[in-house]
Amino acid sequence: MGLKIEKLSKRYGKGLFSRETELFRDVSFKLEAGKTFGLTGPSGTGKSTLGKIIVGLEKPSQGDVFYKGSSIFELRGSEKKVFRRKVQMMFQDPLDAFNPRKKIERSLLDILSLLKIPGSKGPDKIRLMLKTVGLNEEVLLRFPAQLSGGQLQRLALGRILLLEPAFIILDEPTSALDVSVQAQILQLLKKVQAREKLGYLLISHDEAVVRFMADYCGKLEHGSLSLA
Amino acid sequence: MNSLLDVKKLKVGFEGAKPVNVISEVSFSIQKGENLALVGESGCGKSIIAHAILRLLAPEARIEGSILFKGRELLKLSEKEMAKLRGNELAIIFQNASHALNPVYSIGRQLAEPLRIHQKSGKTDATKKVLKALAQLGFFSPEKYLKFYPSWGSGGMNQRFLIASSTILEPELLIADEPSKGLDPARIKEVERELWVLGKEAKSSLLLISHDLGFVRRLADKIAVLYSGEIVELAKTSVFFKQPRHPYSQGLLGSLPENGFVPIPGLAPALCESPSGCRFHPRCPFQKEKCLREHPELKARDGRAVRCFLWA
Repeated sequence: MGLKIEKLSKRYGKGLFSRETELFRDVSFKLEAGKTFGLTGPSGTGKSTLGKIIVGLEKPSQGDVFYKGSSIFELRGSEKKVFRRKVQMMFQDPLDAFNPRKKIERSLLDILSLLKIPGSKGPDKIRLMLKTVGLNEEVLLRFPAQLSGGQLQRLALGRILLLEPAFIILDEPTSALDVSVQAQILQLLKKVQAREKLGYLLISHDEAVVRFMADYCGKLEHGSLSLA
Repeated sequence: MNSLLDVKKLKVGFEGAKPVNVISEVSFSIQKGENLALVGESGCGKSIIAHAILRLLAPEARIEGSILFKGRELLKLSEKEMAKLRGNELAIIFQNASHALNPVYSIGRQLAEPLRIHQKSGKTDATKKVLKALAQLGFFSPEKYLKFYPSWGSGGMNQRFLIASSTILEPELLIADEPSKGLDPARIKEVERELWVLGKEAKSSLLLISHDLGFVRRLADKIAVLYSGEIVELAKTSVFFKQPRHPYSQGLLGSLPENGFVPIPGLAPALCESPSGCRFHPRCPFQKEKCLREHPELKARDGRAVRCFLWA
């Protein structure tokens, strides 16, 4: 069971002084478990907005997103909670993705308490996760600003993995990182995908990254998606 | 022949509760019209070197060694003499253009500032030159941008404004600190063309700081690879990309898309806690007993220099 994106359109504006602008129209594709869909296109074409609509952070002007057969915009109560947990988004700048005033350990424990995992089991789960993403336990005692971009991006992925998701929207996961760190993160994403059978939507303007990661891909340009 | 810039045994450290050494004995030189690239992972000290050359480091920085620019020792100049040089003969394009521009001054005013300060140009004269510089950077109808503010522009536009303001006086040496960071491929092409044109037409030399190896490959004549505050390899660009000698350089090239994103294992060490022996040994696939104990020297041979026991 995948995520089905059907005829999404997004328009902005139409205020007192601004005309309506259309970002994209009739975008349809499918995300499948264990596969990566690569989405490329120039800056400002609405790639990130599309990602945000799929995780339910923004509403489309038209169209729908189906998760396990039901529209995500009509989910309520516990169903919505499950969806929010199962479909996650990883952002471009990992430094912005963590609360700067909390130590990493606190940020991670907050996630676990949301999941109602008993406090005694938390540290074990975190330790296991750190091993998966290849980090040392000492990072737990640091603040986000004390860690490098690569370390933080690993943690961002780790934090998502704690939620046991089915799909991850990766919004430019490596464009803020160096080439060598980029290679590490991409390999890590592949490893985790193979193990957990995750479905990825990889948003990137770097076509080499998309070619390397994606099983199938599309290009968002001039307001419409062309599948390749 | 005298070099335009000659950096010899540059050491940078920071005073504090626990003084740290971040750059150790870095030496390189740039001839007139030559482009040198400093590459390496973030946090290896590239920007510190750039700021040390322009003497823009914080007061607690301790700089040793020598930086000769056209035969003058920059480290001994007074602040007043340095101010005359900065932006005039020696300019920098800072990282993160949107933050480097002043948000409350218009682009026209910011671009005219170097002309008015260094060349004492009048308003009309300065405006004329600003318009010419903007047109050169690919802005159609440049008049429109005189009253433009940085927050109105995209990252790519601001980057070009910043390049215009740094190059408007045609400096002899331009330091470009990650000029391609955060831009999409089309914008990177524009920036690249601009820097190339500047080198060809104004005969400026370029010290390019970047971790984008593709960008570096197309622009630089020579490459210096920096790891944990020291140069580990110095070679001509063409030679370097064909045959990198240091294991770290080989790892960097292996991480490129065309080589299949093969990462270097482990993380780069923080500048204040460099490993003993060869600084790269914890991540090196070829490490030997000797690498753990002794620190290799930078050895020059056949027009290149490498800091590795395996190459010696």
